[in-house]
Amino acid sequence: MWKPQRSIVVRALALSTALSLAPALTAAPTTDPGPGGKDLKVIQLPLRSDAPKTIDPGRGSTTYDNRACSMVYDTLLQYSYLQRDPFVLEPALLTKMPICAEDGVTWTFQLKKGIVFQDNDCFPGGKGRELVAEDVFYSWKRQADDATKAKSWWLYKDTIVGFDAYRDAQNAAAKAGGKFDYDVPVEGMKVIDDHNFQIVLTEPVYRFIWVLAMFQTSVVPREAVEHYGNRFSRNPVGTGPYMLDEWTDLGMSFVRNPTYREEFFPTNLQEGDDAIVAESSKGQRLPIIDRVEYTFYKKDQPMWLRFEEGTLGYTQVPAENYETAFNRRTKKLNSAYKRRGIVAADVPLLDFIFRQFNMQDELVGGYTPEKVALRRAIILATDFDEFNSSFYNDKVIVYDGMIPPGLDGHPNNEEHRAGPEYRGKNIALAKEYLAKAGYPNGEGLPKIDYYVANSANSPEQADLTARQLGEIGIELNVRMMDFSSLIEACDNKKAQFFSFAWSSDYPDAENNLALFYGPNQSPGSNHANYENEEFDRLYEQTRSMEPSAKRTEIYIRMRDMVLDHAAFAGSMARTRSYLIQPWLRNFKPTEQFYNWVKYLDVEESLRE
Amino acid sequence: MWNYIVRRLLYNIPVYLGIILILMALLRFGAADPAYTFLGKNADPGDLEKIRHQLGLDKPFFVQYVQFLWEVLTLNFEQESWGRPGRTVGEMLSTAYIPTLLITVPGLMITATISICVGLISAFNRGRLADRTLMVLAVVGMSVSFLVYIIVGQYYGAFQLKEWVGTEIFAIEGFDLEENGFIAGWLTYCALPVIISVIVAMGYDTRFYRAVMVEESSKDYMVTAKAKGAGRRKVMFVHMLKNAMIPIITRVMTTLPFLIVGSVLLEYYFNIPGMGNRLLGAIFDKDFPVIQAFTAIFAVVFILSNILTDVLYALVDPRVRLQ
Amino acid sequence: MTPKFLRSRGAKKFFKSRLATFSLFVIGIYTAIGIAVLFFDAITVDDTLQRVGPDSTPMIGEQKIEKRLRDADFHLARLESALNKKEEDVENAIANLALAERGISDKPREELKSEVARGWELYDELATQKDDAEFDAFDGKKKELKEQGIDDNEQVQKLAGNAADEAVEALVTSEDFVGSLEELEGIVAALYRPLTGWDATMYNLRRSIGTDRQGRSISIRALFSIKIALQIGVVSALISVIFGSLLGAAAAFYGGLIDHLVVWLYSTFSSIPSLIFLIVISYRFTGTQWESSLLPVYVAFCLTFWIGPCRIVRGEVLKIKELEYVQAATAVGFGKFYILLKHVVPNTMHLMFINFSLLFIGAIKSEVILSFLGLGVKNQPSWGIMIRDSGPEVVNGFFPQLGAATVFMFILVISFNVLSDALQDAFDPKHVS
Repeated sequence: MWKPQRSIVVRALALSTALSLAPALTAAPTTDPGPGGKDLKVIQLPLRSDAPKTIDPGRGSTTYDNRACSMVYDTLLQYSYLQRDPFVLEPALLTKMPICAEDGVTWTFQLKKGIVFQDNDCFPGGKGRELVAEDVFYSWKRQADDATKAKSWWLYKDTIVGFDAYRDAQNAAAKAGGKFDYDVPVEGMKVIDDHNFQIVLTEPVYRFIWVLAMFQTSVVPREAVEHYGNRFSRNPVGTGPYMLDEWTDLGMSFVRNPTYREEFFPTNLQEGDDAIVAESSKGQRLPIIDRVEYTFYKKDQPMWLRFEEGTLGYTQVPAENYETAFNRRTKKLNSAYKRRGIVAADVPLLDFIFRQFNMQDELVGGYTPEKVALRRAIILATDFDEFNSSFYNDKVIVYDGMIPPGLDGHPNNEEHRAGPEYRGKNIALAKEYLAKAGYPNGEGLPKIDYYVANSANSPEQADLTARQLGEIGIELNVRMMDFSSLIEACDNKKAQFFSFAWSSDYPDAENNLALFYGPNQSPGSNHANYENEEFDRLYEQTRSMEPSAKRTEIYIRMRDMVLDHAAFAGSMARTRSYLIQPWLRNFKPTEQFYNWVKYLDVEESLRE
Repeated sequence: MWNYIVRRLLYNIPVYLGIILILMALLRFGAADPAYTFLGKNADPGDLEKIRHQLGLDKPFFVQYVQFLWEVLTLNFEQESWGRPGRTVGEMLSTAYIPTLLITVPGLMITATISICVGLISAFNRGRLADRTLMVLAVVGMSVSFLVYIIVGQYYGAFQLKEWVGTEIFAIEGFDLEENGFIAGWLTYCALPVIISVIVAMGYDTRFYRAVMVEESSKDYMVTAKAKGAGRRKVMFVHMLKNAMIPIITRVMTTLPFLIVGSVLLEYYFNIPGMGNRLLGAIFDKDFPVIQAFTAIFAVVFILSNILTDVLYALVDPRVRLQ
Repeated sequence: MTPKFLRSRGAKKFFKSRLATFSLFVIGIYTAIGIAVLFFDAITVDDTLQRVGPDSTPMIGEQKIEKRLRDADFHLARLESALNKKEEDVENAIANLALAERGISDKPREELKSEVARGWELYDELATQKDDAEFDAFDGKKKELKEQGIDDNEQVQKLAGNAADEAVEALVTSEDFVGSLEELEGIVAALYRPLTGWDATMYNLRRSIGTDRQGRSISIRALFSIKIALQIGVVSALISVIFGSLLGAAAAFYGGLIDHLVVWLYSTFSSIPSLIFLIVISYRFTGTQWESSLLPVYVAFCLTFWIGPCRIVRGEVLKIKELEYVQAATAVGFGKFYILLKHVVPNTMHLMFINFSLLFIGAIKSEVILSFLGLGVKNQPSWGIMIRDSGPEVVNGFFPQLGAATVFMFILVISFNVLSDALQDAFDPKHVS
């Protein structure tokens, strides 16, 4: 017979026993005694906002995918870690930088000898084999295959001779019932021998060199793709410094790759690096840290708290915590953090945050003086400085043009100005232009549709824009939507005036200027639908030029052309603030590339 | 009896079909094209059509509907998640249900135990100070938003507690059962969310159980028991509780679905990789396969609990069986 | 019908309870505020967006030195940036600096500039003094400990920290420092026009609970949110109750196919987890023109809440159907619809009231959750949005916004709880009190 008393008592006892086991639970240990008793170096790092969706470079596209892939895979070229302003490339899998022939389109590459893929079951005997030239081509060819569902074809489009034709032919064959043949050679991809190969470009396109450092071009082994199939997205097999250990919904962990090639800590320390680089790291073989544990933080506050309690090695400073960490006036770190020895670092981003006009729109588009005047009025009424102080703690760089700070073509004066009338705030002048456009004080001007993508404080930002334009009599109809709807509206040329942000895929202004290149019109990336023959001609000309004073001059001309047409209201580039624990050494934060984990070191004596 | 159960099951089939229909319709009609979300910033326009075809979005709605129903029927969970390539829906389900259970089941058990006891005490001391205080506390607890409990709980229960005591007792967020063993892990990561869910649910449940007890206490058999000289405690626990068990069990069954829902918020805030958190993430990612599969599972759980409730009612009240 | 209802036995019992009457009174006050805001624009949306002071300032209590310096910095920086604008824009800029009723002083431009300069001098001096005191002591102590050979990092940090704290404490309590700080705050106060009478009261009211992270008045936002809460609560609850009850009554009364259809409908709807349903519906509205209005919230709530009243009323009507007077009415020959309206529905009125108050509470609490996920109210403040915004603030130790939203909501919800309890007590014969 059921006796309630006993059952309740039993339950209570069980609970109290369980509760009494609570004390002295420590957080994850920071050192693991490894084989032979040597303490392993372990660090915890955050992945902010989102998690990687795939660790397959052929299917990756976002910065999060980049971070994961960069741990496990190598690209032909990599960024020289300590160099900034400008960024410089150096060989990673290659012995030296690729050599370009006289014709400007034939590039010859030489791979290092003895680079092996990590040990994995997909190889016979479980041992990884040496990386050869064929692997490079295979990795790129699979991105041409529709079955891979790659998002990165745009990197190879119209770049290598015969590659586009190869893609169309093979996909057609696969669709017709055959299969996509990876062994069919591509005209512009020539294997000379196991360690030497050549690539022939369709035209001398300079940006190709940057593409070779992008994670999507990492080298993957065919055996792994065939062995794992779709699951290759979760089971990486690379030549990189780390191997994937675990991947859960909450985080990923990586361990040192014992067969990683010989690579040593860079010797080219720049000015100021002595404070960052630990003495013991100089000349050390990479990677230095044995185990890296990433946690995904969809929300900022837990990440911030974890940094505060000393678990995370570094953190980006969320806007809400900016004033906790920094003094608004001096921009210096607050005393509580200084005492703990925490270091602050500012990372300027290659951002182009702007408001775009649809140049083909009836109301706001067009190249006649009246239309230019209308747009210029809006531009002069927009006050990016107010946005800077209201939403970005004055940490944003407001500049003229579409070329972010740090790149050739950016206006290199203190105010980042290209001319006196390229940005606001100048109400009097704005009103003048508005009158010139035929709408004195806004009379007769219909409401302008302003499309904005939903994000953290986008409603408030949109409100501010509406208020600023309201000052000269222009009325905005703010339409909030999620990002994909905005892209859809742009692709259909429906968005009249919209807020947009572009992060440079590589540190060259060509990436931003491409946004105004005629043939890239919607549904391409030229959402402005800007059409200017001379601009297009100059663009095609500079595509094949190496960085030089001449090229920069042309960039400036192109930039000013677009500015004179008042095609957009811009621009802002954010600066991200990082806080770094005193025990995390060799960290020089950047968001341009993500393979820097191998350089990091931990000074255990400083860790609590 | 079996007749009744079968009838209930059959009756719920059109309900299930309806749920799937509504859900799929809501996801597909009018909202932004998920193909854009899938491809992102550098999308090539030619690729859009390709992706739509590969994701099966270009087929007519009815075809998609039937296809999904067939997959559910054959328990086929092999579709690849759009948001997490390389993982199938089935795989995500199999890893996600455990954390959810680890929060909901203990929460359910603890809430039930405490609420029943409190309800008993309250009913027994009806009208007196103990009862009034407990009921006031219950109403007060019910009038504060779940979120406030979560925010304050996380800050004081996890972060501040650690500052005061020196070591971490409750984690601010996260989930790891392997590091320090199962029980220690549960206490670190799940105990605080469970405590919060108990506090939130207690207000409602205590009042309900109290009402049930009070109603029972006015019944004849209680008077008889007291007249026969049975001790207070015996009367309370043996007689009252036993007869109140049916509505109690029924109540527990009906609150089970709400616990799953409530766990969505706890999982989201405490970063516990359960079904609710995964589903929320899928909705924000527009990951159709995951949304459909998870909701299909949730719906099954709901319907089964509804049927179970109906069956329990039928056990009590034979008239219901004849309907 | 209504006066008769008020004279009924149940109503008398209801009003006998002082608590119930009081809760009705509280609800009345909230409704009055809500109507004032909704129809008479007592508080506009602009009011809620207007900055009234520095960020995250609590209402009362001694503020820490850092906060006081930061606030002084806030005022000085604003004025400085306005004064530095181009001539034709300065006028405008200064006008925009007004903190609600507190406008910038009428002193001539030049004088303001020199005042600001003097203010910065004082600020920089105080900040440097504090910094120097702190880090001289900190670094000094560290050196001392190192010389003594004490190596343990944790201990060093603690001891050095204590030394620094002591030094700072000594500094900020010193006469000179206090004097300079007060002088600074005096300069800042003088930058604004003095407030008198009505203006002063209104301004103090705005600052009464403090400011949020954008310097907006928490009290104003909390009061405005009453309107939103009432709007959402009343519309959702009313429509759900009316629609659900009628459907339930009709289903029970007419039986047959209608009954099966209705039961199928609510079984289906109730089997989708309500939170998920709410989220998916709200999400569907993103990108449409109604997104910034309350329509998505209304639709989401009505579609989820109609089930409760429907079920309950249907159950009740099933019982009423069997009662003698209904059977008598049918026998006499009154039309079904007439009976439904005249006999059945009035006897379920009490259930409708009870359900209304329960759904009202449910709507308010669900709105908090929806707004938290970003799917609820947009472009207007609401308690849910305030609670969401307070998340990061709480981490920094700032509770006024969370407190205000919680308390305002709490009072309304608990009043409705008491109300529904009293209603049940009064009108439901089977209810146990």
